[in-house]
Amino acid sequence: MNDPRKSNDSEPTTHFGFQSVPESQKAEKVAEVFHSVAAKYDLMNDVLSGGMHRLWKRFTIELSGVRPGNRVLDIAGGTGDLTRKFSTLVGPSGEVVLADINESMLRVGRDRLLDKGVAGNVSFVQADAEKLPFPDNHFDVVTIAFGLRNVTHKEDALRSMLRVLKPGGRLLVLEFSKPSNELLSKFYDAYSFRFMPLAGKLITNDADSYRYLAESIRMHPNQETLKAMMVEAGFERVTYHNMTGGIVALHRGIKP
Amino acid sequence: MLLTGLYAGVELGLNRVLAMDSTALPRLARLSGKVIAVECSAPNLQLFILPSNSGLQLASQWAGAADCRLRAPAASLLRLASSQDKTRILHSPEVELDGDSAALMELAAILQDLELDWEYELSRWLGPVGSQLLSGHLRSRVSWSAQALDSLRLNLADYLSEESRSLVGQREADSRFAELDRLKLDLDRLDARIERLAQLHKPSA
Repeated sequence: MNDPRKSNDSEPTTHFGFQSVPESQKAEKVAEVFHSVAAKYDLMNDVLSGGMHRLWKRFTIELSGVRPGNRVLDIAGGTGDLTRKFSTLVGPSGEVVLADINESMLRVGRDRLLDKGVAGNVSFVQADAEKLPFPDNHFDVVTIAFGLRNVTHKEDALRSMLRVLKPGGRLLVLEFSKPSNELLSKFYDAYSFRFMPLAGKLITNDADSYRYLAESIRMHPNQETLKAMMVEAGFERVTYHNMTGGIVALHRGIKP
Repeated sequence: MLLTGLYAGVELGLNRVLAMDSTALPRLARLSGKVIAVECSAPNLQLFILPSNSGLQLASQWAGAADCRLRAPAASLLRLASSQDKTRILHSPEVELDGDSAALMELAAILQDLELDWEYELSRWLGPVGSQLLSGHLRSRVSWSAQALDSLRLNLADYLSEESRSLVGQREADSRFAELDRLKLDLDRLDARIERLAQLHKPSA
């Protein structure tokens, strides 16, 4: 029997959008996408979501329940939207770590936060979500916003996040998901595959990266599958909240 | 989601206003880390307020525990927001307050004490010369309006009491009230004396 995840030279493959690529190449290809869009990432987020990404992130903050003195890890933190809010909430006695695998995104995030005067309790770490370079039972809250779908081995990443969380700590996964309404789903498909690459072409002169974005969203596990993956990784009391008709979902799990 | 969007808009406006007061943000910094929950029972709404040195964060829900929880109908909450005597409203039966009430009272005091430096805000948009001209003009208009209203009030009172004799003048009323007070005291004394005499002449059993 042939393993569908194996290519001819028997290296395991994974999806990169709708393409199938050797696993060793996915991280490099994702990195290329984010190197390309880093400079105009915030602008594109506002244009493509109509500003909704700010509300989705606000909701994530609300469900995090972060308190002064907490230690928070913001994986795939990109330009630091969540980190900025967490920094205020944890106060001088707490700590926020903004981690991103992509150097360009991390640099943009660090510069942006420093420009806004966010410093003192924030550190920046270039790290792979699958192999987080932190001790066991270290963080009170771990978040990953719009990052999990770009990770090659999602199960490994979830296990790594579980490891670094303290018992009772919370993982929040904010990610694109599957719309719950058929009509909305059709409109969303048309929007994603026609408007998004066009906007990418006009604003960043890079249609391919935004085509990848639309494709990677379709390849990402739906709400129930991701919930099952989190339970499988070892999280308890896993729940999810659909936002904007299920276009985005926020999953939350507690480390036992 | 709609409520989250609404709170985001209110938060933005509120924090702009708070930034216009030179003392509000340092005072809010002292409340940093507190979570104040306001629950409106009719209509059913919930608001979490998180003060910090950068202003207020408003949330429609909060996963952590609140330090102070205020539960009341909308009418009582509005009265609480506008009234100077908050303690009286907080003691009314339809208002429930749990936890650290000092945090809530301090937040209310900060919002009530706001003194907005609107000239500074204006100067950011119009520049120093433009804002100086406009604020000077506005200040003289406001001062003129206040003087005109004061003068109108005095003239009206004078006309009604002295010329048309429709109302009693303030001094005349004060003098009459003083007479009435004296009369009341005299009556009380008389009443006490009669009572004492009645006790003296009461036949012993």
